[in-house]
Amino acid sequence: MELKEKEIKLNRELSELDKFALEFLSILKKYTDYVIISGYVAILLGRTRATDDIDVFIKPISKQIFSSLYRELKENGFWCLNAESEEELYSYLEDKLAIRFARKRLSTPNFEIKFPKDKLDEQAFDNAITVITKQGKIIISELERQIAFKKYYLESNKDNEDALHIEELFRGKIDYDKVNKYRELIEKRKKEHGNKW
Amino acid sequence: MEINGKKIFMKPGRTNQEDRDNFIKFWVKCMRLMSDEEWSKQQNLIINSQLQGADHKTYLKVKGLNRKLG
Repeated sequence: MELKEKEIKLNRELSELDKFALEFLSILKKYTDYVIISGYVAILLGRTRATDDIDVFIKPISKQIFSSLYRELKENGFWCLNAESEEELYSYLEDKLAIRFARKRLSTPNFEIKFPKDKLDEQAFDNAITVITKQGKIIISELERQIAFKKYYLESNKDNEDALHIEELFRGKIDYDKVNKYRELIEKRKKEHGNKW
Repeated sequence: MEINGKKIFMKPGRTNQEDRDNFIKFWVKCMRLMSDEEWSKQQNLIINSQLQGADHKTYLKVKGLNRKLG
């Protein structure tokens, strides 16, 4: 594994989860920019655990574009776990709620897609990292953001362990000033909206 | 454990969490001694087995999703 600038070259054998991610993202990326923000980042980078879902922010899209995206997802064997109606699903996104897509007749793994709620969410797109695998590229948020959110926002044992994995793996390459800046922004959000926003 | 001619060991933790953290540090050391292909084969045993054993109906209930499998 090699981290250079904003790219990670990863010659890993793809897991079923990676194949699911690449398949879904090959459709999603035609319609909007995305960035993966969840535990899947740590898993992609070698953490020894699995996950039910892959969280992703997408840049806001119009209802018309969502309609095309939804149609192509359905044509390619995905279904939405939250509702069938396009209007209902789009209204969830507009309300800043996440909607989940899985392969037909399955519920996991699923992709949890959502619009950013605020500037802090929008920043996930800044300095995103491209992970280059043998079968395609996956865009993840920067490592410092991952570490800060896991340690200071999500804070579960699992999340702290994900952060530790990333810190150990990229020891000497993590910008802790940046982690601390994210921490300040996270603390500010927690004061304004609480932990579960 | 010997990987590519180098012996490495995991330090036991005094608590469950310390032990889990030590395993993560140990695993990252293992990863550094292996190629991406080698470590990912091991990791995929865990990931793929979870996906194969998933109970999809129960998952929908647990997540409060009142829908039949699509």
